[in-house]
Amino acid sequence: MTTWLIRTFLLGLLNVAAALLLSPLCEGIMRKLRAAIHSRMGPPITQPYWDILKLLGKEDLRSTGGAVYAGLPALTLGSVLLLAALVPMGTRAPLGFAGDLIVVLYVAAMSSVLMMLAGFASASPYASIGSSREMIMLLSVEPIMAIALAVGAFKARTLTLGGIANWQAQNGPSISMAIGGVAFFLALQAVAGKLPFDIAEADQEIMGGLLIEQSGPRLALFRWAIWTKQLVLAFLLVEVFFPWPHYGIYPVDLLATLVKVLVVLVLVTVIDVVNPRLRIDQAMGYYMRVAVSSLAALAFAVIGK
Amino acid sequence: MSSISHSAVTRVKEAVAARSNGALLSATEPHADTLQFTIEKTRLRAVVECLVNDFQARFMISVGTDARPLTGDFTILHLFSLDREHLYILLESPVSEKDLRIESITEIIPGANWAEREFRDAIGVHPDGHPDPRRLLLADDWPEGVYPLRKDFPYNYQPPRAENVAPQLREPPAGASVVPMGPFFPALEEPSYWRLFVEGETVVGCDTRLFYNHRGIEKLGDSVLTYNEIPYLAERICGICGFIHSTCYCQAVEKAAGIDVPRRARYIRTIMLELERIHSHLLWLGIAGHIIGFETVLMQTWRIREPVMWLCEEISGNRKTYGMNTVGGLRRDLPNQLKPKLLETLAGVEKEVVAVRKAIIGDTTLHARTRGVGVLTNEWARKTCVVGPPARASGVAIDARIDHPYAAYDEVPPQIATQAPGDTWARVIVRVTELLESIRLVREALSALPDGSICAEIKQEIPPGRVGVSVVEAPRGEAVHFVLTGGDNRPYRWRVRAPTYPNLQAMPAMVANANIADVPITLGSLDPCFSCTERLETIDRRTNQVRVYSHAELLEISKRKGRNAAPQQTVPHGGVR
Repeated sequence: MTTWLIRTFLLGLLNVAAALLLSPLCEGIMRKLRAAIHSRMGPPITQPYWDILKLLGKEDLRSTGGAVYAGLPALTLGSVLLLAALVPMGTRAPLGFAGDLIVVLYVAAMSSVLMMLAGFASASPYASIGSSREMIMLLSVEPIMAIALAVGAFKARTLTLGGIANWQAQNGPSISMAIGGVAFFLALQAVAGKLPFDIAEADQEIMGGLLIEQSGPRLALFRWAIWTKQLVLAFLLVEVFFPWPHYGIYPVDLLATLVKVLVVLVLVTVIDVVNPRLRIDQAMGYYMRVAVSSLAALAFAVIGK
Repeated sequence: MSSISHSAVTRVKEAVAARSNGALLSATEPHADTLQFTIEKTRLRAVVECLVNDFQARFMISVGTDARPLTGDFTILHLFSLDREHLYILLESPVSEKDLRIESITEIIPGANWAEREFRDAIGVHPDGHPDPRRLLLADDWPEGVYPLRKDFPYNYQPPRAENVAPQLREPPAGASVVPMGPFFPALEEPSYWRLFVEGETVVGCDTRLFYNHRGIEKLGDSVLTYNEIPYLAERICGICGFIHSTCYCQAVEKAAGIDVPRRARYIRTIMLELERIHSHLLWLGIAGHIIGFETVLMQTWRIREPVMWLCEEISGNRKTYGMNTVGGLRRDLPNQLKPKLLETLAGVEKEVVAVRKAIIGDTTLHARTRGVGVLTNEWARKTCVVGPPARASGVAIDARIDHPYAAYDEVPPQIATQAPGDTWARVIVRVTELLESIRLVREALSALPDGSICAEIKQEIPPGRVGVSVVEAPRGEAVHFVLTGGDNRPYRWRVRAPTYPNLQAMPAMVANANIADVPITLGSLDPCFSCTERLETIDRRTNQVRVYSHAELLEISKRKGRNAAPQQTVPHGGVR
């Protein structure tokens, strides 16, 4: 029992640390790729690490007071790290026993809600527009993620992410899970705050939106949380919907997972680079259509495809 | 110009005489394409009404002049264009110092709104019945009753600041909140302050405060600089279309003084003007992409633009601000051996622009963001006197290159592109089409480039009291320069109207009921240029930065230089005048 506890604890620590430390690297790779498509040199791949270090060293300026406001950046990053501990990332989910996919969905939404609160609390009209846009995006995207994961739960007859992933790995591809995976991938674009859905930040419209009043260490934590969340959700997508090839040889499987995650992030970046920003009503309409289409996945699951 | 319709001239003369009802003080024809009428101010409004309703005259600008040293009165001049008839009409009214008021024409022409507020701010003639008589271009802390363009106001005078002043801003309607855009805003890297009245994400109205950045250019032109120095100042009115303003100014003086510019100079001006349009439109395309978050478009179009800048550098020595224009022609020739390189670069640019056009037309997300967005109706475009691509995208087929041909455009005429919908998409298409057309024009002008001199010999002093109106179709629309010549080797009055000036006035109607996310691209689709627009109010200026030539020194230099009086050396500052 004690060894199990220690192992779980170490695994959790490993997951959290990996997510934290790898996410700036992924961001760096994405920036480099953007630059390449722009015909630019682009910053060094390690730039996001320096960005975070620099921001952390700056003065902590706040537009409003209050203990909750002060703690929001840390809470946001914390919620993302909790998510990292609930999601299988090359290993079993460290805290997989403690929460099923319903908990995962709630925790995933938590960081968005916390950032929204920070936006509303920062008393800037741009931030409140950004926050209300973030809320609309969250409400548009959350059902899609829920439907996609529900397909898995229905097929695998379990609510745990690990269970679904195992079932999927053993039973191979199916139409319903493929549709679910695509829907989840499309939702990821918005959750990661990438174009054409970076509407809540929209630099040229609302000057960074819900993050406009954030600077220094607070901005560092928010940015870090966003990068980490996109990485963790990319892991979730790959592990639950596309777990093959599954050789059972751990290092090979881990490598395959990492490569797949990278492919997902590259796709997200390419979509980001070749699209202008949509308006919030257009984005909402788009995700409405995705949500309706993803219901087809449920139908397929019911007839066993 | 042979294309001027003489019957139109007669009809206008008759109509003005009839409508002024005996108040017509004089009617002259300073140039073949220019009719000038002096009317008592009581009948001015009636004549304006007749011109607009019966002749579809397009209002260009008003010029307020402190003519007290000449005639004892102020004069207000409204400048109109009859585009189809290729005519300029100048309606002038003296305004006595005892009754500094004139009837406003903004009710008839909404596009005259700013022009009237501007002459009120600058010389103190009040437009009676103006619907929005708030201060336009003077700073909020500028004292009341101090008018910078009056002749008794020294260019370097700094009046005491007015105390306890606040900008006169409109309050939002009940239930709406204010979302400020500017004066510093990422999508508009220029000083303009828009107050958007917003309900949720919908814009229900807006108010604006502009003119944060006046540089006193017109005042310097008529009080410090000389005819041949002004082209360099004119070139600095704008960072993008510098050559346009220097050409436009030179043409106005050349016209006023009756100087014939050699054919080769006119061709080279055409080439440089079109090169400026090419790099400006590519710049705009990039910025428009940036505004809607499409950074790839920004990066790629600016990469395509760069060889054009290098080309300009090779021709003139500078990427921008070429310093090539002078009154009478050019100071710098376009070397014939550069022709092959020019053609080669343009071929490369053309290929890439065609590719960009294809990508833009095929991009569905771009369609979603621009179609039906920021619609400027044909009617409102005419009423607000919008010019350039925004006008042409709303189906108003005006282009200074066709309507008032200048440089070599009578020999290499452009094909103009118009679109009907008046939305942002139409403005994109108009500009992309113009880009390719400009490349064709440069090619054509290059192949027809005649040999010969590049600058006219100016043997006599420019006589005082002559008027010259000149237009240039800038990338953003028609730029207008008005010059009234004076003694002292400088204009008595120099008036600049940049294309953004009328275009910005159409903006409030274009964003009414828009989504807040569409406001930046709507404004961006006008390709606004604030530095062009803001040029009038005098600001404090370190006198030692302005070099002043005395009359005698100038004469000496012009004699020495012979052909063109462009002074090459600087003379220490000789005191305030």
